[in-house]
Amino acid sequence: MRVVVRLLSTLLALAVAAGGALLALEVGWAWWQPDKAPLLVPWPRWKTELAAVDWSSTPVRIAAGIVAVAGIVLVLLALSAKDRAVRMADPADGITVSASPRALARLVGVAVRAQDNVRGASVTASARRVRVRATSRLENEEQLRPRLLETVDGVLDDLPLQRRPKVSVVVDSPKDRR
Amino acid sequence: MSVSAARRAQGRSHGAERTLTSVVGVLAVLAGAAALVVGVGWLGQFRGHRPVLDPIAVDWLGDHALYARIGALVLGVLLLVLGLWWFFRSLRPERRPDLRLDETSGAELTVTASALSDAVQADAESIDGVTRARTRSVGTVAEPALRITLWLAEGTDVRRVWSDLDTFVLTRARDSLGVDTLPTAVRLELDTAGSARVH
Repeated sequence: MRVVVRLLSTLLALAVAAGGALLALEVGWAWWQPDKAPLLVPWPRWKTELAAVDWSSTPVRIAAGIVAVAGIVLVLLALSAKDRAVRMADPADGITVSASPRALARLVGVAVRAQDNVRGASVTASARRVRVRATSRLENEEQLRPRLLETVDGVLDDLPLQRRPKVSVVVDSPKDRR
Repeated sequence: MSVSAARRAQGRSHGAERTLTSVVGVLAVLAGAAALVVGVGWLGQFRGHRPVLDPIAVDWLGDHALYARIGALVLGVLLLVLGLWWFFRSLRPERRPDLRLDETSGAELTVTASALSDAVQADAESIDGVTRARTRSVGTVAEPALRITLWLAEGTDVRRVWSDLDTFVLTRARDSLGVDTLPTAVRLELDTAGSARVH
């Protein structure tokens, strides 16, 4: 996401610069030579076209909707581009340590899969939350879940994390479906 | 100060890009929503059926032509400057400053960014459990910092690596460079190569 935002940001910057340049250029030109045709932007034509449509017409509504949705997408992209690293305690002054969420998820995943009767597990992790979804054929959720919670807690205890993520474990077992 | 430098070294700053992109996004949402509100007629049916380029507004601008022109020119130039500043800021690559140990004239001593990172990298890779390390200098010439990315082998005791970093690698780097502080950000990854996935 961060690369996308950097790219988008570059394009937006270009658009703003180009828009500003064109605005200054056209206004200056129309001021200096009022009787001549515009330089680059056919704004007199736009003027007559815009004067012909009213606010409640379909094209205006569609355009407004597209602009609003594009704005929402931009805001969401910008919000999602935050640093997701999981902070650890500083081992000494002037040193900061962080782990990638993927590394944390893999650490937890390895420990969970090493447990008995676990067939598979998928783990997602962030600085705030670790989610484990395990599948088991031999044990149902009630039997396996406390053990897995303990395992995950053990993994997190061994890490010098700055803030402890919340843990949620879900067990998917055919025994529960009977 | 050193703590914040080390924190800044964690990753490239995206603050300006994110803020400016969100601002553009928010403006677009507001503009689109306002146009929709007018079109639906929540500001009165009369308002909604006026042309988009309203003659009232055009007449008003015509009455104040001088100020409107000056305003538009200034706005255009400001947008151009802002856009160019933003553009070059977004494209600027992250700096790799050299470390200036001695700036007395005639006896300057500079450790280049690549020499510094190569030395620390070799030390970091010698820690037990670290399979790969990547090091680079970040920050400014006035306040250089290090960023180290370590790939750990599966099953490594993260807490031990975490404590070895300072006592072993960074203390050595500081000693050999003769500096008191070297703000450092460490990023830990798990190495996927060579490890069989357990199913």
